[in-house]
Amino acid sequence: MKRFTTTKLFFGVTLLLLGMLALTPALAQEKFVYWGGLIFSEAANNLFVERVEQWGEENNIDVEVVMINQNETVQTVSAAIEAGTMPDALDLGRDFMLLLSQQDQLVALNDLYAEIGEAHGGWLESAESLVTSEEFEDNIYGIPYATNGNVLYRRNDLLEPAGYAEAPETWEELGEMARAVNDPPNVYSMSFALSNVGDGNLTTTMLQSWGGRIADDDGVNCTIDSEETRAFLEWITTAYADGLFPPGATTWDGAGDNTAYQSGQAVFIANPGSVRNYLVENDPELAEATLFSALPAGPAMRISPVNTVVRSIPVTSEKQDLAADLIAYLADDEFIAEYYSSAIYGPALVSHQEAPIFAESAVHAGLLDLALNGTPGAFPDKTNAAFAEYQTNFLTPRMIQRIVIDSISIDDAIAETQEACQAIYDKYQ
Amino acid sequence: MVRNESYKTPRFSLRQLDSLLGYVLVAPLVCCILLLVIYPFFFAIYISFTDRVIGSEGEFVGFANYLAIVQKPDFQASISNTIVLVGAVQSIKLFIGLGLAVLLNQNIRARFFWRGLILLPWAMPAFVAFITWKLLFAPQGGAFNYILINLDLVTTHVDFLSRDLAMPSVITASVWRGFPFWVISFLAAMQNIPRELYESAALDGANAWQRFLHITMPGIRHVVLVVILISTIWTTNSFEAVWLMTGGGPSNATMTFPVLAYYGLQSLRIGEAAAVSVSMLPVFAVLALIVAVNLQRED
Repeated sequence: MKRFTTTKLFFGVTLLLLGMLALTPALAQEKFVYWGGLIFSEAANNLFVERVEQWGEENNIDVEVVMINQNETVQTVSAAIEAGTMPDALDLGRDFMLLLSQQDQLVALNDLYAEIGEAHGGWLESAESLVTSEEFEDNIYGIPYATNGNVLYRRNDLLEPAGYAEAPETWEELGEMARAVNDPPNVYSMSFALSNVGDGNLTTTMLQSWGGRIADDDGVNCTIDSEETRAFLEWITTAYADGLFPPGATTWDGAGDNTAYQSGQAVFIANPGSVRNYLVENDPELAEATLFSALPAGPAMRISPVNTVVRSIPVTSEKQDLAADLIAYLADDEFIAEYYSSAIYGPALVSHQEAPIFAESAVHAGLLDLALNGTPGAFPDKTNAAFAEYQTNFLTPRMIQRIVIDSISIDDAIAETQEACQAIYDKYQ
Repeated sequence: MVRNESYKTPRFSLRQLDSLLGYVLVAPLVCCILLLVIYPFFFAIYISFTDRVIGSEGEFVGFANYLAIVQKPDFQASISNTIVLVGAVQSIKLFIGLGLAVLLNQNIRARFFWRGLILLPWAMPAFVAFITWKLLFAPQGGAFNYILINLDLVTTHVDFLSRDLAMPSVITASVWRGFPFWVISFLAAMQNIPRELYESAALDGANAWQRFLHITMPGIRHVVLVVILISTIWTTNSFEAVWLMTGGGPSNATMTFPVLAYYGLQSLRIGEAAAVSVSMLPVFAVLALIVAVNLQRED
């Protein structure tokens, strides 16, 4: 009798547990889930969460906002797709949106895009070109909510006494200025990441401004092996050998340049604006000594890449209409003006240019200028999935590392990168 | 004698019922293991033979992923780096583990305090530990450089994460985080060795080294072997140390298997990423077999 009772009890508990397990996803599905893009400004993150929650309250919808570190979006979303636990809407970078759209993971939002554009005076050309390029085949998979890109920071308190009051017009001029004020171990002038992080891909921009190209105009064949690439590599590896780059730049994480500049040990950095936010709050003296400008030009052209961040709806969402409503709600001019004042973004919509912060803050003015005059995406290369994979594999900074770290020749480094690049582009044929 | 027709032979004996209940009780656990361990294990092997990208099923491509990865310089670097990392970390942890375990097995003052203190690195979350080490090693603003420069021991920043020093730095941090497990395991094994053996050996004139060699080591050799093998598997699979401190760089100086697999995942190409992970399986299988045989022998 006792054994019978124990067995019954065991089965009962097991069934109860299994039932709870089965019910958990169902209960979780009751909520409207939004994955927001976590940025370096806590105030901006809080504003965003409050806005989504406010929408939930107004519409009597139970919402859950999860802020995802933007450096980990790829891993988080990949796992969610495989596990079937994607949210109802989420913020994405444009390149990742392209990869996901090619796997049919996102809903086409053409009508919503047109509706929001119409309500806000239209889309800025940079944002529009990034979400309507031919790879999307006439579909729009993400609603831009901001543009972003790098602005050049410089230490005017060090450069002006050395006779450099103006911003560098070219990278070579920047190199000359850097040599004049370089003072290791106190200050390393060129604090640009050469490591396997997103910041390291600034070197692709530099390479392009020298006239080098990652691939041909069709975006099919890699064209890294060129005289322009050689000239760029000569310039940057000489600067490295001359000690203009800080030790550690080849292993920096995404915050390496931030840390170097904030600690007063850098002269030039390229940063979207998070460093400025930090300085204003924590080091007003250094903030005062800092000036901003567009990225310099190379011997061939000036490349100032502007990219966009978007809001997308996964195909698995059962609340696609609600998600679309929320995305339109988040485009509200008043909210965006407040959000931009804490965030580090430029505008994507015409009406969003009117946010007061673009007149108040030099770095935000730079971001507005970038949104209006920057070069979209991979320009002059074709912005396609192969280019995105080239960048996520950090092949340009790794090519530089092979020369400055492994001491292989420039020719060998180019040949190796050309081969790795072509292997990536071949996957997409 | 009248046969009792109403009596029926039980369908199962008491012993069989006992066994049945045992099977029923372990069934949920077996199901969990099948679902959470065996299925993903074979699924990963299957994926490695496909060109699967996140969100799509992919097609069977045979050994194409394996052929592609072995041609990459990253893969070749990850083989040698993984061997160097695991070999160095395990050797140093063995040395420190044995030394500290012997020390803590003595009647030293406040030995319980020291035993607790030793566990701290092990108790600290890995990401906190390795980010802290990265900050200590950082050329600009790092504590080690600050000390070295202020003591005038160096005139310029030492890049502890440069090509020549990155691997030693990762090894140092990995040893720091992992040695407590070795110390505690060895200490537990040493405490099972009867004191009388040491006393008799001392009476026979054996010195400390001889007692260690002929009493301590034979007494703990199974534990040593199992700890080495288990820790080898952990270290080979260890991702946080390399990722958080160097990201596999500079260049490929610290690229290891788990980090290389992670890079594959960043491009959403889980077929290739799985191939990198699965290529480690034969090594793990041999290690796991040795562990299992030794544990069985110890039983």
